[in-house]
Amino acid sequence: MTDVSPISANPRAVAAQIFRARAHSAEVEARPQSEITNRPRSFNPPMPKRYYYYLMAPAIAILAFISLYPFFWLIVMSLQDVDIGGGEWVGFKNYVKLFSDGRFLDGWWLLAQYSVMCLGLQVGLGVLLAVVVNSSKYEKYLVTALLMPMMMAPAVAGLLWLFLYNGTFGWYHWILQSVGILDNASILASANTAMYAIVLVDVWQWTPLITIIALAGLKRVPRDQLEANMVDGASPLRNFFAITMPNLYPVLLIAVLLRFMDNFRFIDSVLVLTGGGPGSATKILPVYLFEVAFKFFKLGRGAAIALTLLIVTIILGKLLVRVFEKPQNEKG
Amino acid sequence: MATVTIKNVWKYYGETPAVKDLNITCPDGSFVSILGPSGCGKSSTMRMLAGLEHISAGDILFDDQRINDLAPKDRDVAMVFENYALYPHKTVYENIANPLRLRKASEDTIKARVTGAAKLLEISHLLERRPHELSGGQKQRVAIGRAIVREPKLFLFDEPIAHLDAKLRAHMRGEIKHLQRTLGTTMIYVTHDQLEALSMADYIAVMHDGELQQWGTPAEIFNHPVNAWVAGFVGEPAMNFLTCDIKGQGDDVLLRHSNFEIPLLPGQVRQLNGAAQAGTARMGVRPDALSISMTRPDEAAMQGEIFVNELLGGDMLVEVQLDDCRIRVKTTPEFEGKPGENCFLSVNRDKWHVFDAGDGHAYF
Repeated sequence: MTDVSPISANPRAVAAQIFRARAHSAEVEARPQSEITNRPRSFNPPMPKRYYYYLMAPAIAILAFISLYPFFWLIVMSLQDVDIGGGEWVGFKNYVKLFSDGRFLDGWWLLAQYSVMCLGLQVGLGVLLAVVVNSSKYEKYLVTALLMPMMMAPAVAGLLWLFLYNGTFGWYHWILQSVGILDNASILASANTAMYAIVLVDVWQWTPLITIIALAGLKRVPRDQLEANMVDGASPLRNFFAITMPNLYPVLLIAVLLRFMDNFRFIDSVLVLTGGGPGSATKILPVYLFEVAFKFFKLGRGAAIALTLLIVTIILGKLLVRVFEKPQNEKG
Repeated sequence: MATVTIKNVWKYYGETPAVKDLNITCPDGSFVSILGPSGCGKSSTMRMLAGLEHISAGDILFDDQRINDLAPKDRDVAMVFENYALYPHKTVYENIANPLRLRKASEDTIKARVTGAAKLLEISHLLERRPHELSGGQKQRVAIGRAIVREPKLFLFDEPIAHLDAKLRAHMRGEIKHLQRTLGTTMIYVTHDQLEALSMADYIAVMHDGELQQWGTPAEIFNHPVNAWVAGFVGEPAMNFLTCDIKGQGDDVLLRHSNFEIPLLPGQVRQLNGAAQAGTARMGVRPDALSISMTRPDEAAMQGEIFVNELLGGDMLVEVQLDDCRIRVKTTPEFEGKPGENCFLSVNRDKWHVFDAGDGHAYF
């Protein structure tokens, strides 16, 4: 076996070398670890470091303009009492006031309920659907059909469900009334049911996303492990929880992260369906934020709410990653 | 412990038959190897035994129990997979304990059995590690450990040592054989490596194209292959084949090639039984049934030209150009012929074979 020679400038020679190394994988395994990791890193000649910055500069400039600059102003605004003409510095007053604002705290509580219900139903249903689709011979058609709700603009989906929930001619309203679950109250106009109604819309529209992601994860579950566990004596259900789920965790993490952040941001359908009502029954925090900032034009307070929302999102995101990464790390 | 009977079993994938009318009986406690090239149906057979694959037609019996419709978990078999199939998120201990846990064994039993198996396989020091921290050979042992803790009726080994390097493979061959003798459990071992089958098994089932070609002990398979395909597949270096004419001459029957004319032994004439009295046939002779010399030993010797010499440590393999074909001869490293020189070959007629030129079945 040849030694790994110094990085060659000739890509062909390098490729040939890698190929040779693979062909003799037994020997490769036998060699000390340090030599194996000493693979050719790049075919490019080394470049002075400042060029990297030159090359990244346009992207950074655009990012700064559309993202960093507004973010900076958000922070500034949250410390001011903003009017059309300009702002007046008020320090942390905007933040302090939030803690005595009942609707702000309610908004958090409602957002938590909304988010947990949405995520729970979506992950449960999504994985279940993925398993069904994966074992079906009509997989392609089912996937196409499942994708349809996701293709729709959330506001349009909201409008569609607004009709379905309608107290006069809504189909769901009629069906629920027929089986006696619902009395005369309209679904969206009743504080008892409005929250479930907006959760259902979100579940309808976004469960397919979880399904698609989980389906991709299911394809990667090593078949021989499933079979080994079966021969070892596992029932199909046990096999699912012992082998399939641990393999699904990493992809589910991505799905849950995406959906949870969406729940904290997307309020199109909620605005169309209930606008936060009846009363404040569905006034989840982002809806309240929208009202404060763009209905009452209290931009300073709005900015303060937005920042707290951002911070909580970041913290929860980090926590989620940590929880989900654990089984993955154990996998190594 | 069980006698395994495979009765008229067929396996279809769509319209394609993968296993055709297979009949095998593995005696209780025996080590049976299913040998064949890839795509011969050996893995399908094993997966049907394990219950991972539906049996299209026919029956499989463990002792007298028909197991066609039993789920894998109810068959009481243990399987070792080609890629080990260890559970990456579990420690070695938990991997080995898995079948016991699934059968709700008590914690004491689990501990006793796992440590016992680990000791037998010399992996006691690895129990707390995870699979990704192990070498190929160690993973292999863990996979075997997981199979043996349960004390099943039947072991199924699916090319378990194919991915190990050559030296470790040779070592593991001996270990697995010894393990099977110690435990006394019936074992079915699938492999494409004829050397593994010959060196380990009590009985070998040679499969090709979904059909059983031959069933027998390793010696029977090696010394008396039933057809040219088995003869060519088993044995390394492979058997030489020469197309010859069969010609009667007085009481003798001769094998005639453009290069030589050699009479059959009297017993072999009887075995030929007039079947191919005046036609073509394929002569098969293994490299070690030929001897090579630089001077003509007798009238019947073949004459050829040395094409290339390969020194294989304790042996030398000489490839000889014989008119329009090449045959390989095993000799000692002391052989002094050089490529391009003339040489003479003589055949050990006790060890040659004649196959039908058409369907390839062996006359002897």
